[in-house]
Amino acid sequence: MILVVLKNNLKDGLSAIERASSENNNLPILKNVLIKTFNNKIQLSATNLELAITKFVSGKIVEEGSITVPLSTLLTITNNINNEKINLEVENNTLKFKTDNYEAVIQGLPEEEFPIIPKIENTNNYLQIGSEIFKDSLLKVINAVQPSEIRPEIGGVLLDFQITNLKLVGTDSFRLAEKTINESNFKCTFQRGFKIIIPLKTAQELLRIITDGEVNLFIDPNQILIKNNDLELISRLIDGVYPDYEQIIPKDFKTETIIEKEHLVSAVKLVSTFSGKVNEIKIKVGDSKKNLEFYSANQYIGENKYLVPAKIKGEAFETSFNWRYLMDGLKNFNSKELVFGVNGDNRPSILKNSTDSSYFYILMPTKNY
Amino acid sequence: MEFDQIWQNVLGEIELQVSKPNYVTWLKNSRLLDKQEGVALISLPNSFAKEWVENKYQKLILNSLRGLDETTKRVQFTVHNKPTTLNTPKKTRELAAANLKTQLSFEELKVDPETNLNPRYTLGSFVVGKTNELAYAAASAVVEEIGRKYNPLFIYGGVGLGKTHLIQGIGNEIKKKYENNVRVKYVSSEKFTNDVIYGIRNKRMEDMKEKYRNVDVLIIDDIQFIGGKPSTEEEFFHTFNSLYENNKQIIISSDRPPKFIPTLEERLRSRFEGGMIADMAWPDYELRFAILKTKLQEKGVSLPENILEFIANKIQRNLRELEGVLNRVLFYQYTKKEVSLKMVEEIVNETVQQPTKNINPVQLIKIVADYFQILPTELIGRCRQKNVVEPRQIAMYLLRDILGLSYPDIGQRLGKRDHTTAIYAYRKLSEEINKNQDLNQKIIAIKDLIYKE
Repeated sequence: MILVVLKNNLKDGLSAIERASSENNNLPILKNVLIKTFNNKIQLSATNLELAITKFVSGKIVEEGSITVPLSTLLTITNNINNEKINLEVENNTLKFKTDNYEAVIQGLPEEEFPIIPKIENTNNYLQIGSEIFKDSLLKVINAVQPSEIRPEIGGVLLDFQITNLKLVGTDSFRLAEKTINESNFKCTFQRGFKIIIPLKTAQELLRIITDGEVNLFIDPNQILIKNNDLELISRLIDGVYPDYEQIIPKDFKTETIIEKEHLVSAVKLVSTFSGKVNEIKIKVGDSKKNLEFYSANQYIGENKYLVPAKIKGEAFETSFNWRYLMDGLKNFNSKELVFGVNGDNRPSILKNSTDSSYFYILMPTKNY
Repeated sequence: MEFDQIWQNVLGEIELQVSKPNYVTWLKNSRLLDKQEGVALISLPNSFAKEWVENKYQKLILNSLRGLDETTKRVQFTVHNKPTTLNTPKKTRELAAANLKTQLSFEELKVDPETNLNPRYTLGSFVVGKTNELAYAAASAVVEEIGRKYNPLFIYGGVGLGKTHLIQGIGNEIKKKYENNVRVKYVSSEKFTNDVIYGIRNKRMEDMKEKYRNVDVLIIDDIQFIGGKPSTEEEFFHTFNSLYENNKQIIISSDRPPKFIPTLEERLRSRFEGGMIADMAWPDYELRFAILKTKLQEKGVSLPENILEFIANKIQRNLRELEGVLNRVLFYQYTKKEVSLKMVEEIVNETVQQPTKNINPVQLIKIVADYFQILPTELIGRCRQKNVVEPRQIAMYLLRDILGLSYPDIGQRLGKRDHTTAIYAYRKLSEEINKNQDLNQKIIAIKDLIYKE
C-alpha cells in the first residue's frame, strides 16, 4: 500500500475513531487502527468489540493495500509534524511514515488479524434525520443516564420509534428525560415501530463525532449502524426490556409554579454553595405564595436562603432536591420561562416548557428526614 | 444438555488449535443451540465474534463436529446475548447507595420489566384477617396448584384494601417457589389497553399477542377499566381463551363482582364467573390494628398503643390512608421526637377530611332515610320500631361525626329529642362500629353516598 494524504485529513480521521480503540490484554490488536484502501478512499477503522467506528478520508492512492498500526502512536506524530503532505507506505508489516523532513517506521500487524467489522443485514430500511436535531435531542436526555451494572437495560438511551414520532429517553432511576422528535423532522422507510437501547458509550461517541448534514440509522436485532457523511459507527444494542417508564410521568401536580429559567438557574447556583456533600437544597413556597424560597444549610459552613418570584398555583410545598440533578435538567431548556410542577416530598417533580411539550425532565426529591 | 456436552467436546478440540487469547476473545460464551438435519446452529455473544468465527473458524468447527457426528453438513451462526448473571457489582451498588442515601428513586423502576411485578408485594407481608381470609386462602391455593384449582381467580373489593398487594404477592410467590420456571406476567388493565393501542399504531400486534399469550400465569389488575373499550376487550377475550384452553392460570382483580361491571361483555362476564370469586371486604378493627403493627415492625420502629388504637379506630375505609397517616405520624415522631394523641388527631382529621360539598343536616337525614328505604318523617317521628331506631341512631351519629352538630341541635332536628339521647346514640355507635362489621359496612356505604352528593 502506498498513499499520499494531507495532514489534516489524516488527523481528523484518526481523532474521530480514536475512542473506539481500546487496550485489551487478550487482543492487543484492538489498540490499532486499520488503514485500508477502499473505493479510491482511505478507510480508517477502530473497534473495541462493542462498537466500531470507520471514517473514510480522501488522499492519493498509488498502490492498494492495508495494515494495522497502534492508533495513538500514529495520531501523536500526525499531530506534531509541521508538513502538509504525508506519504504512507507498507513494507513487511511495517508502516513507513514520511514527510519532507521526517521519517518514521511503525511496527504493525496485518489486516487479517484485525477483527472483522460486522455488517448490517437489513440495509433497505433506514431512518434519516438532521444531525443537529439528532445531536440536540440526544444531548437533552444523555445526562440522565448512568451506566448501571445491576440494571443494564437503563444504562443506555432508549430510541422508541412509533412511526409518527421518535422518542429518546434516558434515566438513572432518580431522574428521567424524554425528548420527542416529530415525523416532520425525519424521513423513514420503517413500516413498524421499534424500541432499541443504545449503550451510553455509543451515544457519547455519537455526540462527539457526528458532523453537520444528516444521520442515517440502520437497525438489526442486535446492532445499529449510524452513517453520517464519511463516518460509519456500528454498535451492539443493549439486550433487555426498557422499563415501562410512562407510569412515572406525573399526570398532574399538587403545585404548579411558573418561573423564569434564569432566575431558577441562579437560585440553584447561589444557594447550593452551602449544600455540602449531600448536594441537598430545599425549595418551599413563600408565605405570600408569590415566590419560592431556596434554602440550604451545612453545619460546618452555615446557611443561606434566596427568594425567587414565581407564579404559584395549588398547595404549598417544602421539598428537597439534589441540586446537581436539578441543574442537569435546567441546562436542557432554552426557553425564557419554565413550568416546575411539584408533587409533595415523595413523588416526582417535573420541569417542562410551557409552550413546547416535546421535552420534559422528571426528578425525584431527596428524603428530608 | 446433550448439546452442551457436544459443544464442550468441540471447544476442547479447538482450544488446542487456536491461540489462547483468540479462544478467550471469540469463543467464550458460545453455545450449540440446535442441531438437526445436518445443520448445527451456534450462538455467539456479539456480532464481532460472529463475523470472526464465521470467517476464520468455520472449517475447524465443522471438522470437529463431524468427528463426533458424521451427518453434520453445515454450521450456522447467530448472535444471542445470553443475559449474563451479574453477581459482581454488589460493591458499586453499595457505594452508590451510600452516596445517595437520601435520594429517592422512581418506585416504578423497581418493577421487574419482564414480569411487571413489584418485589415489594409479597404474600408473606400480607396481613390476613376475617375480612380477607377467603381471598388469601384462594391465593395460596393458586400458588400450590397453578392453573388447576381456581381458574380464573377473580378477586374484588374496594379501593385500597390490598387487592394489588395480594395478586402481585401471588406472582412473586410463584416466581420464588418455582425459581423462574413459571412465566408470570402482571399487568394493569390500563397498561394492557396502552399495549393494544401501541400494537395497533405501530403494527406490532403480533408482539403484543406473543407477550401475553406466552405466559403461565397472567395477572390483570382493575379489570373494570377495560369495559367499554371494544378492541381491548376483544384482545383480552382472545388472550383469556388462549390461556384458559392451555390450562394457564389467570388472576383478575376488580373493584366489584363481574355481574356489576356494566360495560363488560356478556361472554367475558360468564367466563369470569366460571372460576373462583373471592371478595375482600372493608377491614375490621382487628385487621387494621394488625396491619399497623406489621408496618411498624417492617420499619423497625414503635408507637404507643393508645395512638395505634386511635388510628385504627379512625381510619376505617382505606388501608392506603391508614399507611399514609402512619407515615406522617412517624415523620413527626422523627422530627419532633415525641408524639401526642392530640397531634395524631390533627393528622387523622386532615387525612380523613373529605371534599364535602356543603351538605346540610336535612339532606343528610334524607340520605340516611333513603338508604334504609324509609321516609324522613318516620326518622324524625316518634316510632320506636327496630327498623327505624337503628337508622335514627345512625343519622345522629353521622350528624355529629360529619357535620359536628351539637347534641341539643341533633336532638332537636330528629323529633325534638333530648340531647342525652343523641349523646347515647353517638357513643354507642362509636363503640359498636369496631365490633359490628355489618354496622360498619352500612355506615361506610352511607358516607359514600353523602360524599357523592
